[in-house]
Amino acid sequence: MPRTENDIAIVGFAQSPMLRRSEHTETEMMLSTVQGAIKEANLTKDDIGFTVSGSCDYLSGRGFSFVANVDAYGAYPPINESHVEMDGSFAMYEAFVRLLQGDIDTAVAAGVGKNSNSDPETLYTIEMDPYYLTPLGADPWSLAALQYRALLDAGKITERQVAEVVVRNRASAKDNANAQVSGDFDVDELLSADYVRDPLRRHDLPPITDGCAAVVLARGKRAYDLCERPVWITGIDHRIEPHLPTMRADITASPSTRLAAEGAGAGNGPIEVAELHAPFSFQELVLTEALGLGGDTAVNPSGGALAANPVMVTGLLRVIEAARQIAENGKHRTLAHTTSGPCLQQNLVCILEGDE
Amino acid sequence: MTDTSYDMEPFNLQFPFTRTLGSTLSTFFSALTTGQLIGVRVGGRVIAPPLEYDPETGADAGSEWVKVGPKGTVSTWTWVPQPTNLHPLRTPFAFAFITLDGADTPMIHVVDVDSPEEMERGMRVEAQFKPEGEAAGRLDDIVAFVPAEDPSPSEGAGEPYEAPADPTVESMDAFCDLTYVDNAAPPTRVWTQGLREGKLLGRTCPQCGRTFVGAIGLCCVDAIELDESLVTEMPQTGVVTNFTVITPVQYHGQQETEPFVRCSVMLDGTDAVLGQQSIVGIPASEVRVGMHVELVWKPEGERDTSEIGNGGHGSTGDTVEGWKPTGQPDEPAENYVDRMM
Repeated sequence: MPRTENDIAIVGFAQSPMLRRSEHTETEMMLSTVQGAIKEANLTKDDIGFTVSGSCDYLSGRGFSFVANVDAYGAYPPINESHVEMDGSFAMYEAFVRLLQGDIDTAVAAGVGKNSNSDPETLYTIEMDPYYLTPLGADPWSLAALQYRALLDAGKITERQVAEVVVRNRASAKDNANAQVSGDFDVDELLSADYVRDPLRRHDLPPITDGCAAVVLARGKRAYDLCERPVWITGIDHRIEPHLPTMRADITASPSTRLAAEGAGAGNGPIEVAELHAPFSFQELVLTEALGLGGDTAVNPSGGALAANPVMVTGLLRVIEAARQIAENGKHRTLAHTTSGPCLQQNLVCILEGDE
Repeated sequence: MTDTSYDMEPFNLQFPFTRTLGSTLSTFFSALTTGQLIGVRVGGRVIAPPLEYDPETGADAGSEWVKVGPKGTVSTWTWVPQPTNLHPLRTPFAFAFITLDGADTPMIHVVDVDSPEEMERGMRVEAQFKPEGEAAGRLDDIVAFVPAEDPSPSEGAGEPYEAPADPTVESMDAFCDLTYVDNAAPPTRVWTQGLREGKLLGRTCPQCGRTFVGAIGLCCVDAIELDESLVTEMPQTGVVTNFTVITPVQYHGQQETEPFVRCSVMLDGTDAVLGQQSIVGIPASEVRVGMHVELVWKPEGERDTSEIGNGGHGSTGDTVEGWKPTGQPDEPAENYVDRMM
């Protein structure tokens, strides 16, 4: 399909090492990553028309950390900058929309998370509904386990299938130099592990990861000026369900993922690779069903969120991994997905395509 | 493995706060203190506990209150083998989706049984309330759900609930308690070691020539790393570029009793200020912008850098007494503008 000036492509990306504990601050992680992505796109910081990042002060425990992070952009003379308290993939969505205004033709979007400073079990419990969930200490593991149990009771999945998801992702992650968790594991051995929250086992949980990722977007023919094989974002959509998991009509399905996929035009062609943001192993099966993915689609060749889970970055990593399949591995059409909130509350689907 | 050798002291972020409830939640929590659970009828179904809006449509949920529970049915559950201090029970328990009799949507609460073997989908449970007088208008006024002795439907569930004109509960107390353990980033380690040795260290950007002082390892103008090969010792004299006089109000931890100065000091020959600095030797009323000052260190054994985090680039922590005027004529403003603040 011929590209127009309204088409927007990923023309460069970069990520920091994914570590259980980085010695660096968010700003330092961003400096090398953001500037690395800009360099990858054969640009300099002064060429960028719009900059946006996703991060959360409560992760590092440093108030206004997103302001300090602006140092990583070289924001003098002043730049056009924005921030979302969400995953970097939502920042990329904002950059995408900003580019559609047509007055600029490049943008950079980043996500950064210094997750090791805080305790996710406490932090995310405090982030839940303050009236009906937080007073009960409804922690993220428990909420995920309630969803997992509902899937088992509905006969939609089995614990063995879920263990197979873990084995496959960890094995795939062996080829991912940035993976934090990888290796060969045995399904029966995994199934013999104790429950953290019945039926969730420790290996069903994502690791705690410090990291950063960034993408550079370009609009129209500028994309061809900057890179040989632009990765076109042909569709992107974000849908949200009620924040209380108890208010969902069916906790075992993900209608917002399905709607986002429809909105992004996922069904307009075959999907060779899908990079899915499933923080808890079993959620990959929910997403696969919601997206209607079959055996022709390779799911999470990077190892997914089970290989590295820098909160605020994991979704943007899915975009980068799906883009890498087109930019470097000769694929033509891939899908990237991000989730946010308890029990797959929010879902973003992005369709990426390379030229024939 | 996690390298913990640069970990700082844990930082405990604690603060109490009060949330107002609004009319819908006030009605629910007021009823709860009397042992009555309620929902709201909206869009042809009963949502319990109630919300102000219909999550399906966003429409105002109104105030058609309905009595629900105290018995209900479990639709999914999980087991918490090691409760934390955030959980309402100290012994292992279950979280469950419980659809109260008379309601069409479940709520999340805890079920107090001895083992996960006692939990199953479809089991009938019953709310156990705090004794009268102890209820605070919080969801944990329900101590826990327990298996229902009599599984038959709750009496009165589904009947209309007449809310009193004035709710007794209109706010909810909450407490934030988060613990952080940051680690000293490489530039912070270099800077704090310098302070302990009585040195102010800076780095000059090879691209723009600006000199940055403090726990900083990058040029925020050119967006490039300034590595440790660029570290040099800075002069310990400078100019006050800005200041404020603070009249202390007494709060927990405040040690000042008299008005005091906090100022920014631009070291001679540098381009980024040291913030939050103290002035010694003259009264607060005599501090001026443009005043030349020199550093007065604390004795070597008394220099404490433990309070210096990665955020305060120029912070000197508890290593200096402050800055005393040198007596030189004040510096004209045009000589210290266009710098990093």
